[in-house]
Amino acid sequence: MEMLGNLSLGLQVALAPENLIYCFAGVFFGTLIGVLPGLGPLAAISMLFPVTFYLEPTTALIMLAGIWYGTSYGGSTTAILLNIPGTPVNAVTALDGYPMSRQGRGGVALFMTTIASFIGGSVGIILLTVLAPVMVTYALRFGSAEYFALITLGLVAASTISNGSTIKSLAMVVLGIMAGTIGMDMYTGALRYTFGQRALYDGIGIAALAMGLFGVAEIIGSIHTARSRMIDRKSVRFSAMKPTRDDLKRSWRPVLRASAIGSFFGALPGTGSAIAAFVAYGMEKRLAKEPERFGKGAIEGIMAPETANNAADQTAFIPTLALGIPGSATMALMLGAMMVHGITPGPRLMVDEPSLFWGLVMSFWIGNLMLLVLNIPMIGLWVRVLLIPYHLLFPAVLVFICIGAYSIGNNPFDIWVVAVFGLLGYLMRVLDFPAAPLLLGFVLGPMLEEHFRRAMVLSQGDISVLITRPISATILGLVGLMLLWNLVSALKSRRPGPPPIS
Amino acid sequence: MSLQPSRKEFRVQTRDYRDVIGGVILVLIGLGFAAYAFQNYRLGGISRMGPGMFPLALGLILALLGAVLTGQALRRPGDWPVADPATAGLVLAGIVAFGLAIRPLGLIPAICLLVVITTLAEWRIRPVSTLALCAVLSVMAWLIFGLGLGLPVRMFWWNA
Repeated sequence: MEMLGNLSLGLQVALAPENLIYCFAGVFFGTLIGVLPGLGPLAAISMLFPVTFYLEPTTALIMLAGIWYGTSYGGSTTAILLNIPGTPVNAVTALDGYPMSRQGRGGVALFMTTIASFIGGSVGIILLTVLAPVMVTYALRFGSAEYFALITLGLVAASTISNGSTIKSLAMVVLGIMAGTIGMDMYTGALRYTFGQRALYDGIGIAALAMGLFGVAEIIGSIHTARSRMIDRKSVRFSAMKPTRDDLKRSWRPVLRASAIGSFFGALPGTGSAIAAFVAYGMEKRLAKEPERFGKGAIEGIMAPETANNAADQTAFIPTLALGIPGSATMALMLGAMMVHGITPGPRLMVDEPSLFWGLVMSFWIGNLMLLVLNIPMIGLWVRVLLIPYHLLFPAVLVFICIGAYSIGNNPFDIWVVAVFGLLGYLMRVLDFPAAPLLLGFVLGPMLEEHFRRAMVLSQGDISVLITRPISATILGLVGLMLLWNLVSALKSRRPGPPPIS
Repeated sequence: MSLQPSRKEFRVQTRDYRDVIGGVILVLIGLGFAAYAFQNYRLGGISRMGPGMFPLALGLILALLGAVLTGQALRRPGDWPVADPATAGLVLAGIVAFGLAIRPLGLIPAICLLVVITTLAEWRIRPVSTLALCAVLSVMAWLIFGLGLGLPVRMFWWNA
């Protein structure tokens, strides 16, 4: 009964006119930026982040979340039509989506992935609604030692599971934590690494950091590579969208399996949508009677990853909202947004601010429904967006980033932050360091330090408290296993990490 | 199933110089960060940590990771990093110009400076499209941020 009350409260909040408008704005701009090649969800959220400063916290979060799952919808459009994944998450969709559009079935692919996204998203929301409260009841009993262990798990999982070198990812996590120590020390009030800059007393702003690291660095990297391409407009006409009976028959099983896979990987720390999509695709290929159809326009090959990534998008909110510990860089950015709006994420959030929590959850339904209804008629618009030449697009994005950065504090300081992190992000690209772990470290670093110091104060300096408390010991044991497994597999193959998912 | 764009130039070296450079930079940043914390902030004990303890540990961990990365990279083949400093420089210069211009000159001159400088990064001068872009973006910025959101910033230097 309590659940029904919560849901109706959430629905009321989500249906308030202002929230509806900004939910729409979020999914619209999310899809728009998702369509643009090179700019992913992190760039999208960070670019529109300053705009939400003017809004109520609940409305702001509804809009930011809408941007986040909107990019997944939009990214699939470019993956299918152009073989350019709008976001890395959609890379797998391109494998069969692009061949489908070469065969003149682009419209069918777009229509079916929209449905797949909606179903995946719905399953994810249901699990979020059911599991988050369960997790909260456990989390309310956690102390600082447990939180320290959980945050460590999140950071290590993000570096060991993702593609590429573990050492490089770990180094970026540490660099991010270092950036997070800048500003006033919470315990002693001492100023760290501020070098007399008053604007640094509160630390580096997360919006400016993310805009530099993801927006600017991405643009520098793609100026000479991004090209607008020609699209066969016939394949995206409305009449060309009707799936055949065979398409539907082949699709429903992959959708069910991928919903489960996506929900699972979304909620785990360090995995997220891209891995969910990759695993779901691999599974369908393995289960298929004729695996040779994959890569040549098999409908299962687009349904599975698109269902999985949208399910993962939603279940990623479970640890973020229930524990206050994000499992991915995008969720870390959402968490940063909450903190900017004065909300402390964590198990108390659901208890203390039920209207925010349930309003946000219910808005996911509305946002996904909007995407379902709007995306199909708007495909023509997205295609036209893709035809805008990049030499007009990138200065416009930069203008938006600069004004956004300025508006954070009506101060040019955040523009310098954008430039510095743009340079850093570009150097990291050149030297092949991943940027997402840096953001995760930046957001989680201050919490990691706070919980470690508090745990040490409470235990009077006895560091063994981390391994004598059962929950904390289990989690840290898991961290140890992850690092060990990684070391062993690195030594064995001399070429660490799973195959690149881009 | 590599979906990453392939690097334009593959000059395979006997050592992975890209990671050697990256590793050495990490060592330098880590040691610098740790040394600064050690010199300037109180470390404190483990039960009452001062502001310097955590940064010191972080710096040392980063330096260690950098050293391991360098050590590995010296023993494996790899390629040189391929950078495009001109593009990066022009985009960043445009952003800095925007930041310098927005207070004294106003929003619209800042937008035009940013657009003109960054479009040079393409190595193709398109005077008409650049001017048109300046005009369109200025009008949009005025509509969205000036009229719409009421951002407290003047449009031109002669505005109050």
